[in-house]
Amino acid sequence: MVGPVLRAGAWPAVAGLTGVAVVVGGCGAAFPAAASVLFPICFALLAAAAAFTLDEPASLVVDVTPTGPVRRTTIRAVALLAPLAAGALVLLAAAMRGQALPWAAAGLALAGNVLLGFTAACVARTRTGEPGPAAGAAVVLVLMAPILVPQVAHWVRTFPAPGAGGPSPDRVWWTVLAVCVLAIAISAGGRGLPRWRARVAILRRPGALRLCRARPGIEG
Amino acid sequence: MTTTLAPARPAADADRATFAALAAREVRRFAVNPVFLFAVAMTVWVLSTDPGNVTEIDSVNWIPAVFLGGFGMMATFWLTRSMRASEPIVGVTPVTLPARTAALCTVAIVPFACGGLALLRFVQLIPVGDPAYGAFSPSARIAVLVGQIVIPSLGGPLLGVALGRWVRFPGAAFVLFLILFGWGNLVTALSISRPDSTPLVVLRLFAPFSFFTLRGNTAHLTTWRGSPWFFLGWQLALCAIAVLVALLRGAEGRARLRIIRALGVAGAVAVVMLVLAAAGGFTHAVTA
Repeated sequence: MVGPVLRAGAWPAVAGLTGVAVVVGGCGAAFPAAASVLFPICFALLAAAAAFTLDEPASLVVDVTPTGPVRRTTIRAVALLAPLAAGALVLLAAAMRGQALPWAAAGLALAGNVLLGFTAACVARTRTGEPGPAAGAAVVLVLMAPILVPQVAHWVRTFPAPGAGGPSPDRVWWTVLAVCVLAIAISAGGRGLPRWRARVAILRRPGALRLCRARPGIEG
Repeated sequence: MTTTLAPARPAADADRATFAALAAREVRRFAVNPVFLFAVAMTVWVLSTDPGNVTEIDSVNWIPAVFLGGFGMMATFWLTRSMRASEPIVGVTPVTLPARTAALCTVAIVPFACGGLALLRFVQLIPVGDPAYGAFSPSARIAVLVGQIVIPSLGGPLLGVALGRWVRFPGAAFVLFLILFGWGNLVTALSISRPDSTPLVVLRLFAPFSFFTLRGNTAHLTTWRGSPWFFLGWQLALCAIAVLVALLRGAEGRARLRIIRALGVAGAVAVVMLVLAAAGGFTHAVTA
């Protein structure tokens, strides 16, 4: 079961975004002067890659199979290792180049970024079979907000750049991690069919097909 | 009855009317796009707040480029892709794909106009005579602002249409936005340490947006090398390339040949403009 579920993932999108992130992060590691902008961009791309891990082009079929959403989400979560490993590689390269980053905080930011992308996908997956594009774009815009809008940077920082003023990003990321775990548990646990699809199916074929939201499958 | 008795209009008139109707519809769709509305709201918010004691223009001038240009690119990308699912039906209508693409390209008028308004507001906030513009002449200062505020607002949405026509990956717009933003920051950061390096000047100008001044952490304002006027020419050539690349999709026969020929000309103009932009302006960075 694990193999087919993983094979069906949107690997070209995940790998492509992760690859672009590695290039951007590599430039950040190579040129420390631009690292404070390039590392957040790299992490945002990794978050977008994480948002594509739950894409399921065949969701019309997959959503009514006996394999539950919790199990499918758990299996697909393995794909998060790709963006996490890529981010760790970038941080390692920066460390080897002698950059003085707060490494624990940077690692926390990396995990928070990736988990935020995955959570956005989990929540959006209750609505659509391919949440990647919308969730990825939304996460990127949210994560880039402190860089794009100077006023936002006064309140929130998402990357622990050394010497930067403003609030510590650690508190933000611990809060985000806690909220993400909760959101994933709720969205995956409570997800049968996407709401719109269940409604359409029941409306069109009353009696012929009864869809169970608590545990997806076809009954009677 | 009216239709029967009316003289038949020439085909060109009919095409023009169809194009105008299509363009008006696309402009309406774009003007109510949530991403574009958000971009306009953010630009208005940032430009409506008093910047206080401004010592350099670079703290504010990139905001309209990012929102009207960058977010405009994402909006037109999604607008272009939104018709992809209905292509089998739309494709059998008498309107060709290049005509529909041209209609989509006209939506760039809206962010372009918004960019013009943003420029006026910017000049109101920081008058052209202000020393924050660096050592440029008054006309070159206007060229800097047009190149940093107005033209990116036009080029971004055009790039989004081209991207939507050619790239299937649905996240291409935000990835390209991040790459362009990262590239701009990278070459600017490199230019700080070596402002007189010619290759770095070319790299800094090899972007749809470029800074021409920098204060950094010092009390002095540095005006970098490069001609703002030729940089405008480079940006306009990029806009033309984006339109032509978008129109190339679905073009057939003589139209395709003409577009490819025009692309060659636009590419050559772009290269010449980039070289002139890098060679023009001050011969070395001026610190005052």
